[in-house]
Parts: sequence; structure tokens; C-alpha cells
Amino acid sequence: MKKWLSALILVMLVFSLAACGQKDEKTGEGKKDSTTKEVFKIGAIPDQNAADLDKGMTAVANYLSEKTGMKVEFVPSVDYAALVTGFQRGEIHMAWFGGLTSVQARNLVPEAESIVQRPRDAEFHSVFITQAGSKINKLEDLKGKSFTFGSESSTSGHLMPRYFLTEAGIDPNKDFDGKPNFSGSHDTTYKLIESGAFKAGALNEAVWESAVKERKVDTKKVKVFYTTPAYYDYNWTINSNVEDVFGKGTKQKVKDALLSITGDQKEIANLFQTDSFVETKNDNYKKIEEVAKELKIIK
Amino acid sequence: MMKQLPVFRLHNRFFLTLLLLAVFVWSLFSIKWNADVFHAGGIPTMLQILEGLIHPDLSADVLGKGLSSAWITLAYAVAGMSLAVIYAFIVGILASGTLTSSRLARLSSKVFFRGILGLTRSIHELIWAWLFVAAVGLSPYAAILALAIPYGGILGRIFADMLNDVPDPPIKALKSAGATRIQTLIYGYLPLIWADMISYTMYRFECSIRSSAIMSFVGLGGLGYQIQLSLADLRYNQVWTYIFFLIGLVLFVDIWSNFVRKGLTERRRRRGFSTGWRSTLFTILLIIGSWVYITLGENAHLFELLSDKNIEYAKKFFGGLIGLHEKQPAFLDAGSWAAALKLTLETLEMSIMAIGFATIAAFVTVIPAARNIANGSLTLSKKWYNWPLYGFVRILYIFSRSVPELVWAMMIIFIFKPGLLPGAIALALHNFGILGKLWAEVIEDMDHRPIRNLASAGASKIQILFYGILPTVLPRFLTYILYRWEVIMRTTIVVGFVGAGGLGMDFKLAMSFFQYTQITLLLLCYMILVIIADFASESTRKAVK
Repeated sequence: MKKWLSALILVMLVFSLAACGQKDEKTGEGKKDSTTKEVFKIGAIPDQNAADLDKGMTAVANYLSEKTGMKVEFVPSVDYAALVTGFQRGEIHMAWFGGLTSVQARNLVPEAESIVQRPRDAEFHSVFITQAGSKINKLEDLKGKSFTFGSESSTSGHLMPRYFLTEAGIDPNKDFDGKPNFSGSHDTTYKLIESGAFKAGALNEAVWESAVKERKVDTKKVKVFYTTPAYYDYNWTINSNVEDVFGKGTKQKVKDALLSITGDQKEIANLFQTDSFVETKNDNYKKIEEVAKELKIIK
Repeated sequence: MMKQLPVFRLHNRFFLTLLLLAVFVWSLFSIKWNADVFHAGGIPTMLQILEGLIHPDLSADVLGKGLSSAWITLAYAVAGMSLAVIYAFIVGILASGTLTSSRLARLSSKVFFRGILGLTRSIHELIWAWLFVAAVGLSPYAAILALAIPYGGILGRIFADMLNDVPDPPIKALKSAGATRIQTLIYGYLPLIWADMISYTMYRFECSIRSSAIMSFVGLGGLGYQIQLSLADLRYNQVWTYIFFLIGLVLFVDIWSNFVRKGLTERRRRRGFSTGWRSTLFTILLIIGSWVYITLGENAHLFELLSDKNIEYAKKFFGGLIGLHEKQPAFLDAGSWAAALKLTLETLEMSIMAIGFATIAAFVTVIPAARNIANGSLTLSKKWYNWPLYGFVRILYIFSRSVPELVWAMMIIFIFKPGLLPGAIALALHNFGILGKLWAEVIEDMDHRPIRNLASAGASKIQILFYGILPTVLPRFLTYILYRWEVIMRTTIVVGFVGAGGLGMDFKLAMSFFQYTQITLLLLCYMILVIIADFASESTRKAVK
């Protein structure tokens, strides 16, 4: 009995493998047909509420599909680096990146191009926050205090705050109480300050504003003590393989479609908090690239 | 083995206990214990999280998502384990050396294949997942292979150990009857260990469910993905819904594996369907279902893994790891080594603290958690509160081990000063349930006679505990402590991901910044840790024997 039972388990293991082998072949054929009608895949860095992101980006996919005639699909991603990797592998054809991730992606795919952004992305800010009662009033006061960034791949939650800290004479690796933390998301950052886990932190100004508006953060407990100068941030970056896969002129077609978005596309406007998109170019991100190189985040 | 005098053995154990305690206390010194460690400001957030526990989000949308993610998690785990069993079976037999005849060949095959098994299990499944994602992209196979490799390593080692522990006489009898090596294996060794192999595989299967759930951290789907997303969105009520799904899944596997084990021990032949047959059939269906789903439902094909494109990326990636295009690989840089070794020490301290906390918590709770104490058959005393207490502690165990370390870490980081301590507590919270369960089973399986004797001689509960139960079960308790410690060591990387410090945090940073040679360096540090753990637990086990 025992022997039979165990033998059976083994047999079925082998069987299931064999079975899946056959299926591979069958569906493999089906797949070949579909390569002629490749899906244009778009992605977005997961720096805000996943449900909203999903809704808004699906709306973008539908809109692009309607305007360009291609089949467009949104591929969600949990991790900044995973999205960059997908882009590098050519599996994501266009992505909504932050400044740093777009520079990382273009570093890995040299022919990729930042094409479109929101008006506000040309003048983006980060805010530094601390507990309401604390004696921290300027960046220099952060010496010897505990500090948290957002995701390590975030421009507004890590790269630029780090840059402005360095400008103010603070070395984030040495001058804080312990090493700086990476909370993973902007929302977690203000929660951690609110709870007192860290004395101060930095995050995306837009996320902060909407958190205050939606009362997700208790402004009696947390205050902003510094807002950074403006820098370039988010943009749509298109992959280098697009023209090869979808034919000549695709890049322009997609770009035009993005630029034609207005406030009428409610779901898109809600997600991006904008009623228009404007052109951008790689050169706008020179500064970010320099900072990232200086901080040894890219080579 | 030399026969030692009982007194000497007793001393040995005593010194060992002292030594382990000292190591634990040493690890505590790595924390600055002051008022800063705990901050009350996090309590409102903590309460918000707990409120979600009482009012989980039960909307149809979330339940639907939970159900489909639970299936993905299960399917990956099943598919991964089915590959792991094949790998473990083949390499395990080779590593046991039962197929070789000459002494030299046996030794070399043992060393070589045990080495392979050791290498594959020393790297955490999450790291494997990440390596595969980088090499083959976000395919379900990244998750499946990432599960199959380390779990195959663990299973393979156990299979090899089991083969080596097979009693000699039946094998000798077969050999003298003229059986070949293969025949001895099939008719001698394997029938003797089948049941144990399957029951151990089922036990590891439960663990693979949890591992499958955390695969989301490299961007692969499943329950962990949903948990992570809702945590990032601060929707704690949804987090708990998904955790309940995970608990459900773990419970389901627990019950199922009980059935399988029962089927294996069922000796009566019956017509029709016995439990064993039913669960076997179920296993088959589940395995087939998982593979069909992955190949058809997720449209992922095993052969595509070997496409030219993937090979090119894999080349690029592994070239990056060994520093092909870099002038100054981190693993040749003294400064990077110094920094990484400091983190290695931190990781070691965190793991020791974690197992220390888990041991204390399990020790306090394990007595009421044993079935034979709850029903009074061991101590011959029955109290009304035995059963409720038993149920309570067991639920606590299930809860504790079903919630992944990572989720524990994300919650307690709000009330403890980030660093090694919350990491250690998160690991302890998760492992205490596992340790408690394993220990309770040890007590349930122990010889009743000496204890009953003590009880009928009028020993009090405390006396029974210290003079009856503990001396009998301590060696096995210790084995489990050491075994979990090895596991914790590898898992420190996971809590490091959320800012608990140690090597894990740096690993995450290196991943995000695509600093490949730094990753190689950190992987080397992990291997050092695993070698230390292997060596320490092996020598401790010998000392206890």
C-alpha cells in the first residue's frame, strides 16, 4: 500500500511534467501567430496607491489604443527596479518613470528617449518633514537626528533630497543618528514621522499635498520645515525597440496621442493631477544624471 | 562514536547551554538599550493596523482578488515543489553515495553532490528569484525555479541523510543475494524511506507556500504582491484580508499533509477510496492543475526560458556579477569588504537575537500546546482550562507562523526604533510559531511512561516539567533551535528589505542601483554566514548526542 502510494506520486510527477511539455508545443504555435500583433506594453513606477494607479494607467492604455490603433496594455509593477529591468529587456515599451528611474533606464537602454511630461514635472519639489514639536527648522539641524528617505529609487523621495542635504553640508551616510532608512514609499515616510519612528524625512511634494488634503496625515503632529528648489522629475520614456517592433513612426504617433490628452479624460487627469502633457527631452534630465553619478547611484 | 560517561555527557550539555546563553546575551549588546528603542507615537498607527484585523475588508472585489492570488501562490508553490522533489531525489541519491562501490568514488561523490546541495540551499529563495528575474524576466518560472532550487537543496540533503541512516541488515541481505547497486537502491533503500521522504516533503511544502507568497518582492504575483500593495497604500483592513487568505492556505496544506501522512501509515487494505488514495489523487490533480494554469493561464513556457534573448541577458547579467565590464569590482575592494563584513556581523547578531527571543516565547507556551498534556494523558491530571489553553496557544502558533516575517517587520517598525531589534523581533514572531509547533510535536511523541511514573509518585507540575519532560526533550528541542537558526540566518535578508538593517538592506540598495559586483560581494558574505551556521550547528549537535 505504502509503496504503491508513493510510486504513484512519483509517476504523476513525471506525468505532469510530460503533460506540460505537450501543452508547451501547442500553445507555442498559437503564440507565433500573435507575434505579428504584438501588444504595446506600458508600465509605471509604483509610487502611489496601486488601485488608483491601475485605474488611471488602464485608462491611458485604452486611450492610446484608441488613438494609435495598437493593442495597448498596462503591466503593473511592485518594484521600481523591476520596472527598469523590464524596460531594459524590451518587455515594457513605454513607462512612466521618475527622474532617476528614467535616467537609470536610459543608462541601460542608450537609445531610449524621455518624450512627454506634465507641466509641473519641469518644476518639481520635495518637502522635508518633522514632528510638530521638534526643534528642527532647517536642513543643518538634521545633524545627529534619525532620518528616512522614501524608496531608494525615488527622485523626490531620495535622490534630490540627498542632493540638497549634501549641498547643506550634511553627509547622509555619516551625519544622521545611524544610517538613513529607506521607507519604500512616500506614504510610509509621513506615517513613520507621524509615529515618531524617525525624527525627520523627505518626500514628494505632490504626495504630501494630497495626503494633507485627504487627511491621511495628522498635520498637528507633522510639519514641513523645508521645501527644495525646483528640479525635473517624472516623464514618459519610450523604449528604443518600438520602431522595430511596431513599425516606423510609432514613436511620434504615441507622443502625439499623449500630448492630445486633456482634462476631458477624467480618469487620466485624476491620476496625473493634470489636464495637459507637454514635450520633454533627454537633456532636461542632465542635472539628475549628474547628481546620480555624483552620488554613485549610476555609473 | 566514542562512548562517553553519562556524567560527562551531562556536563557537556550544561556547558553547551551556558555557551548558547552567553552567545545570546552577547548579541543583545549590539543594541543600545535606552528609551529611544521604543516610541509610543507609533501606537496610534499600531491601533489602526489592529483595527484592520478586527474589520478586514470583505468586499467582493478584495475577496475575489484574494482568491485568485491565493491560487497563484499555491500554484507556484506546487509547481516549484514538484521540480524540487525531482532534483532532490536525483541529487540526494547521488549525494548519499549508495550508488558507488569503491570507497574513494563514494567519498568524492558524497562531497561533490553534498556541496551542490549545500550551495543551492545556502541562498535564500528570494535571492534566487531575483537572480532569475534578472536573467529570464518576470516569468512565473522565475518564481518556480527560485522555489525549486533551495527547496530541492534542503530536501536533497534530508533524503541523502535518510538513505545514509538506513539500517544495514536488509541491505547486506540483498547484496549477498547478488543484487546490483540499482537493485539494492530500488528494493532495499527506497522502500524503507518512502514514508519519511513523503512526510518530510509535505512538511517543507507548508514552508514553500509562505516562500511563494513573498516572491512578490521581486515583482512576481501572488498573495504577497497584494499584501505589499495594500501595505504601501496604508490599507490595513485589506492587508489582513490577504493575510487571512494566507493563513487559510497554510491551514489547508497542514490538514492535507496530515491526510497524506495518515494515508502512508494506513495499513488496512480497503476496497474503494481510502484517505490515502484520495489525497494522492488530489495531489495529482493539484500538480497537473498548477502546471496547466502556469503554461496556459499565464502563458509561460518552459522552452522560452532558453530563447536567444534570455541567454543574452543572462550572459550580460552574470558577466556583470563577476565584474566583466567594471574597472573596480566591489568584491576586490578592501573598503567594500570591511563595510560588508561589518554588516555580516550585524546580521549574525540579529539572527541570534531572533532565535533567542523565539526560543523564550516558545518555551513559555509549549507545555499547554501539547495534545497529550491538554487531554491529561501525560501528566494524569485533567483541568478544565487545559483544552481552551491548548486551543488558544495553537491558534497563536498558526497565526504567528502564517504571517510572513516581512509583514511582521513592516508593522513593528512603527513602534520600535528601526535597526537590528525590530528585525530580530519580526523574525522571532514568525519563528516562534514554527518552533512551538515542532516542539509540541516532540512532547506529543515522547515516551509517556517516565512522566506518568513521576506523576503517580506525586510530583507537582513544575517538578514533572523539570525532572520528567525537559531532560527527555531538550536534545531534540536544541536540534530544532539550531535548525531554525540556520533558516533565520538566511531569512535576515528579507527583513533587511524593509529597513531592519544587516546585509539585506544593502542587498536591496545594490539591486535598485544595479551595482552587480556589490551584489556578488554580499552573496559571498551570505555564504560565509551559512558556513558558520552549518559548522556551529553541526558541532553542537554532535556535542549533544
